[in-house]
Formats: sequence, C-alpha cells, structure tokens
Amino acid sequence: MNVNVKKINSFLAENAIYVVLVLLVIGISLSNPDFLSLSTLTNILHQNSTKAIIALGAAFVLITGGVDLSAGRVVGLAAVISASMVQMSDYPQKFFPHLNELPVFVPILLAILAGLVVGLINGLVISKLHVPPFITTLGTMVIVLGVNSLYFDMPPNNSQPIGGLRSDFTKWGSGSFQIGSFSLPYLVLIAIAVAVICWVIFNKTRLGKNMYAIGGNVQAAHVSGINVSRNLLWIYGIAGALYGLAGMLEAAKSGGASSAYGNMYELDAIAACVVGGVSTTGGIGTVPGVMAGVLIFGVINYGLTFIGVGPYYQLIIKGLIIVAAVSIDIRKYLAKK
Amino acid sequence: MKKKWIPVVIAGALAVTALSACGKKDDGGSAGSGGGGGDLTIGVAIYKFDDTFMTGVRNAISDAANGLAKVDIVDSQNSQPTQNDKVDLFVSKKYNAMAINPVDRTAAGVIIDKAKSANIPVVFFNREPLADDMKKWDKVYYVGAKAEQSGTMEGELLVDYWKAHPEADKNKDGKIQYIMLTGEPGHQDATLRTKFSVQAIEDAGIQVEKLAEDTAMWDRVKAQDKMATFLSAHGDKIEAVLANNDDMALGAIEALKAAGYFKDNKFMPVVGVDATAPALQALSDGTLLGTVLNDAKNQGGATLKLAVALAKGETPSKDNTGFDITDGKYIWVPYKKITKDNMNDAK
Repeated sequence: MNVNVKKINSFLAENAIYVVLVLLVIGISLSNPDFLSLSTLTNILHQNSTKAIIALGAAFVLITGGVDLSAGRVVGLAAVISASMVQMSDYPQKFFPHLNELPVFVPILLAILAGLVVGLINGLVISKLHVPPFITTLGTMVIVLGVNSLYFDMPPNNSQPIGGLRSDFTKWGSGSFQIGSFSLPYLVLIAIAVAVICWVIFNKTRLGKNMYAIGGNVQAAHVSGINVSRNLLWIYGIAGALYGLAGMLEAAKSGGASSAYGNMYELDAIAACVVGGVSTTGGIGTVPGVMAGVLIFGVINYGLTFIGVGPYYQLIIKGLIIVAAVSIDIRKYLAKK
Repeated sequence: MKKKWIPVVIAGALAVTALSACGKKDDGGSAGSGGGGGDLTIGVAIYKFDDTFMTGVRNAISDAANGLAKVDIVDSQNSQPTQNDKVDLFVSKKYNAMAINPVDRTAAGVIIDKAKSANIPVVFFNREPLADDMKKWDKVYYVGAKAEQSGTMEGELLVDYWKAHPEADKNKDGKIQYIMLTGEPGHQDATLRTKFSVQAIEDAGIQVEKLAEDTAMWDRVKAQDKMATFLSAHGDKIEAVLANNDDMALGAIEALKAAGYFKDNKFMPVVGVDATAPALQALSDGTLLGTVLNDAKNQGGATLKLAVALAKGETPSKDNTGFDITDGKYIWVPYKKITKDNMNDAK
C-alpha cells in the first residue's frame, strides 16, 4: 500500500506537467462537452505553432542560464519586414510603391536573417563584453522596437498597419493539407519540424551538450575546454533566427503586420518554458517539456474562452497555473538532490 | 586586459551614430513643416509616435501648417513626465502656442498651469482633459471626436445591413446573435464603443443576444485566435461580429475565411472602427461590412488652425478656424461611416 502511494506520488511528480494538461482538458470538457472535437485540436495547434517556435528559441537561451527579453520585439520586426515586401502589386497603399513582386522566399529569408542578426548581436555582447543577458537583451529589446518603429514609420507607410499580403505568402500561415474532413495546417507541420530539429540539436549535437554544460556550471564548462563564448554566440543566434521565423509566420497567419506585433511574447515564451520544466537557473529542459508548456497555455487560452470565462478571470487562472505547475514540477529536482 | 578599449570604442561609435541620426531627423522635421510661415512657432507634443491614428493626425498637422506657421512636433513616448519636460522646453523656447495630445488626460491640469504662467495658449487634442481643468484658463481649447459616436455609428452600420438583408437573421428569431471583440480592458474607447454600438442597435428597435464578448487587446492575431474559438463554440449561431477596431475586425475575418465564410454566398457582417488601409482593402474585397473613420485629417487641421488663431492673439471662431466652436472652447470633429460605397472619402 505504502509502496503504491509512493509510486503514484513519484509518477505524478515526474509527469506533473502532463497531468496538469490532462486535468485541464477534463475540466473544460466537463463544463462544455463540445470542447472535445477535432476542430478544437486543430485550432489549438494552429494558434500555438508560432508560440511553440518562439518558446523553443527561448528554451535554448534559458538552458544556458540566460534569458532573452528581445524575443517579442524580434517577432514584430520580422513580421513587419516580411509583410512590407510581399504586398499585392495592385494594393493601393503599398509599403514600397515601386517594388516589383519578389520571389516569396526572399522576404521569408530576410525575416529570419533579421532575427539571426539580432541574436548574434545579443550573443556577441553577452560573450565578449560580459554584459549580463538580462541587461543585454533588455537593451536589444528596446533598440529593435526603435528600429522597427522607424522602418514602420517610413513614408509613405507612416505607421499604418500593413495589409494586402500575397496569397503565396499567407498560405504558409493559414493554408492546410486537407485529409478527408480533417485539415492539418502547414503552420503545425512547420512547428513540428522545428521541434524535431531542436530536439536533435539538444540531444545529438555537441552544441546541445555544451549548452547544458554551460547552463549547469559555466566555470566547469570553461575549464573542461568548452569554448563558452562561441557556443553562446550560436545559441543566441539560433534563438534569434527562430523568433524571426515565428514573426514571419505570424504575419502570414494574420495576413498583416504592425510594429505592435509580438509585444510581450517573450514573457509568454518564458512562462511556457518554465511550466514545461525548463529551469530559469539553467542546465535543465527538454523539447517535449517546452511543447507541453506551450500546449498548457494553448489549452487554457482556448478552453477558457470556449466556455466563456471572462478575460479578467483568465489572467488570474493563468498566473495560478504558472506558480502551481512549477511548484509541482520543481519537486522532482528537489527529490533528486 | 588588452581588450579593455573595445567597449569604449563601441560606446563611442554608438553615441556618434545615434546623435547624427537623431540630428538629421530633427532637421527633417522642422524643414518639412517650416514652409516659410512667418514668425509663428507652435509646439506640438504627441502622446506616442508609433500610434497609427495619431500618426495620421501628426501628418495632418504638419500639412496644415504649410505656409501658416512653423511646427515643432515631439514624441512624448507614452510617458506623462516626458511630455511635461517637452512642454517646459516649448515654454523656454517661447513658442507662440502649444498643441498637446496628453498621455494622461487627468494630468492636463499641470500643463495648463505651466501654459498660463508663461501666457502661451494651449490646444489639447484627441484626449479630452477633465472639464474642471479646462475651466482653469480662458486660453485652453480642445479638439477631438466624441468617442461614443464611433460606437453608435458602428452599430448603425449593422442596423442598416440587417434591415436591408432579412436573410441575415439566420435562425429567424428577430434578434441579432453577436460576438464582441473588445480592445484593452479599461480603455475608454473600448468601453464606449462596446456600449454604444450595442445601444445603437437596440435604439433601432432590434433585439440583441450576446453570444460572447472577450478582449483581443486591439490585436489582429489575438482577434483571429479568439474568433476561431468562438466559431467552434457557437458555429452557425453567430449572426454578426462587432470589433472595437479594424485590426481586430480583420483578424476575425481571417478566422471566418478559414471557416469557409466569404465564398459560395456565405457571408458574415463584420464591422470595425478606424478605416485603416487594410480595412479599406477588405471593404473593397467585400469581406468587411463597414468601418467608422475617426477623421485624422480634420482633427489635425482643426488643431493647427485653432493654435494659429490663438498664436496670433485672435479669438477663435468659425471664421478663422473653419470649425464650429462649442461652449467657447471645444471643436468636435465628427466621425464618418465608411462602407464600400463611400470608401474613397477615407483615402
């Protein structure tokens, strides 16, 4: 009997985040059984694909013991850059009135490149100038907002929301494969592909091993011959590129962009990572955990709106879930110590 | 040790580029709006430069200033203390009049005190100071729109459609089953538009039933996600969508498109406010039913003309501003309903 209780307890502690996820789904479904449907599943996956990509970027950084506050604003920058270059040629208020139709991969690559550049700058400042990540990325966060606002305010656009995006661009965010009556959004496949790549980097590459080592104990990593600054440079660069990808996909999904896009996404991403078992002090975190963290918030956002919970209550519930999930999850590490 | 100079060089380089870039911008600002308008200079403080609507007003002010006065337009960066510093700057430069778009409307009293002691007339615009503050001095004016009017017109757009299209009442119960997407909670525009749009429908003798109301924070992506959720929760029961602004209306339209609307004669009336460029595109595509224009051009024009009249020491009137003055110190610029038929008015 005692053994069983112990076993159950340890199972619950090990899988706390998945238990929370299942409990949420059960709770919401009891309140409105219509929740359990295929459209709910595809909607939640579609709505959280970009968030998952951002959270994976944030996870890279968190595992090294850092933090990246620039994520949300990089998303905004990438959204505006890509949207500004894929407007339909007959749209009346074009960002670049004389720009011919570019091949769709150009703006996509430029968006990712913009994110990569910001990430590399973060990595450089952190590893070469030894500015703490919190301060560095706080700086780049406001700089990126400034740069994006300048770009967005350029005549003739003058800070007007960008619209009229070409369908060969928007399909990346809103198109889907039709399998019978089930439609699988491209966006979900992109997020899954990114997650798989991240999983490989985390678990099968030297960069991934170094990332955990740096987050676990940076001195030890340094002494054991890891080139800490070069690894940090790449890690912040990859994170930035992921935000860039996510930003471009946000623009494609919504069919528009403005400089306000991505505002505060970094906090959502960090919250999802932490709820998914990534340690804010570094060294701990898995890709499936991050995905579960994103899904928990996805289910909360969708489910509470679905059953008609008021927005103010939603905020309170989200805050409680963050604290509760982490307090349960942290026990497995306490137990191990 | 040997690399100690790196941060110094970077900081130096940054400072130089930053200063030169900012300097250029200042030149551009005053040159573009100078236009040889005599000796009058008007200090203009906008609450935040990256606000879409206020950018329209800002451009309208500098256009209207051409040939009338010099304008010095500054960004208050959404911070009232910053704006107060800018006002001090205007005062110390002895400008002839000020036009202030307050960050916090309740903080206007402080600005009025500063203006009064320096004897510089002040025109507030877009965010209305409290009535008590407006009474503090006779050279204080206000230009703006009545926020509730935007809600009322939004509701009326839906009423017009409903009356002209009996098939819009899908379940034939005579009521409009609607979804409301609201802006940031507690934002005055959000509260008023939500309230008055519904009231306008009820005032037209049509009953309403709210299926859902949730905030999408003025944001297109959030509105798209919320609308997808409402569609799967309520499906065909939804007969209309009201959004507090166009960005959210367009987000809802994206979600509706994904659910098969706007093709094969499947239509959903969606209304917004602002008449942004993407919204006008949606009007011509036939996805957005209507929007309400907050008339940036006339707000900016009225603000500038009022400030110029005051700077010259004249008493503002319809003759020297082109707008009716209400209660001795208010100019109310009306909103406009925009549909596919009159969308050129908003361009």
